[in-house]
Amino acid sequence: MSEAVKPQRLALMHLFWWFMFAQGGVIAALLIPVHVLVQGILGPLGIVPVVDRHYDTWVSVLGNPLVKLYLLVLIAFPFFHFAHRLRYLLVDFGVPAAKSVPAQVVFYGGAVVVTLVTVYILLTTVPI
Amino acid sequence: MTTEATTEATTEVPAAPREYRWRMPANWWTRNRHYFLYTVREFTALPLALWLLWLLVEIRRAGDGPARYAPHSSTAFVVFSVVVLAFALYHSYTFLTLAGTILHFKVLDRPVPARLIVLSQFAAWAAASVVVAFVLIWFAHE
Repeated sequence: MSEAVKPQRLALMHLFWWFMFAQGGVIAALLIPVHVLVQGILGPLGIVPVVDRHYDTWVSVLGNPLVKLYLLVLIAFPFFHFAHRLRYLLVDFGVPAAKSVPAQVVFYGGAVVVTLVTVYILLTTVPI
Repeated sequence: MTTEATTEATTEVPAAPREYRWRMPANWWTRNRHYFLYTVREFTALPLALWLLWLLVEIRRAGDGPARYAPHSSTAFVVFSVVVLAFALYHSYTFLTLAGTILHFKVLDRPVPARLIVLSQFAAWAAASVVVAFVLIWFAHE
């Protein structure tokens, strides 16, 4: 029979992108609503004092390395989730080109670019 | 396959291959409530991405110096945030509910009920929200 033993190859890249997709989804689900509510609505309306409403408090928080790490996780991870969802939404809307390798490079590469830009901004704005 | 059928197939002039292209109608997702909600769920990524990019800008603006820094306060920004919050809540609700389907644990040889897993996800969401809100508000007094 032609049941040749296929070499077992671990789909490492597959594992990596699915991990990022899942983690990005969890982080977005747990953390984004409260940021939008507090920083996007309650703060601008003046209902509660919020750390980014004043230069001094915003800068002192942004200088904290733990905050920088947190913001990197908060911003970078979800973009890997968004990249996957939006690419497949395009496929569902009848754009087969969204399945192609160039589209994958654009979408997941875009998430990598956002990650690098975030690292750059966090390191250069209020350096530790 | 019978011999008759085989000879028929070989003697027949091969017709030009016909292409059957079936395309989904562009409005497929509006025809059914579940399709619509699925599309909304996938679409939540876009407003959430835009809001995170705004946050990145807000962080960057801290580098402008005390004289030039002014927080966003326009009505348009608040309206934008309200819309994003609706999508964010829908993402959280759908994603955390999904955990009950995906995660399967056994404790003391008994499977943990899906409802309990979902409940734990929502509890984690509540706890994370309280901590983040506390930090954002507490450190505003200095």
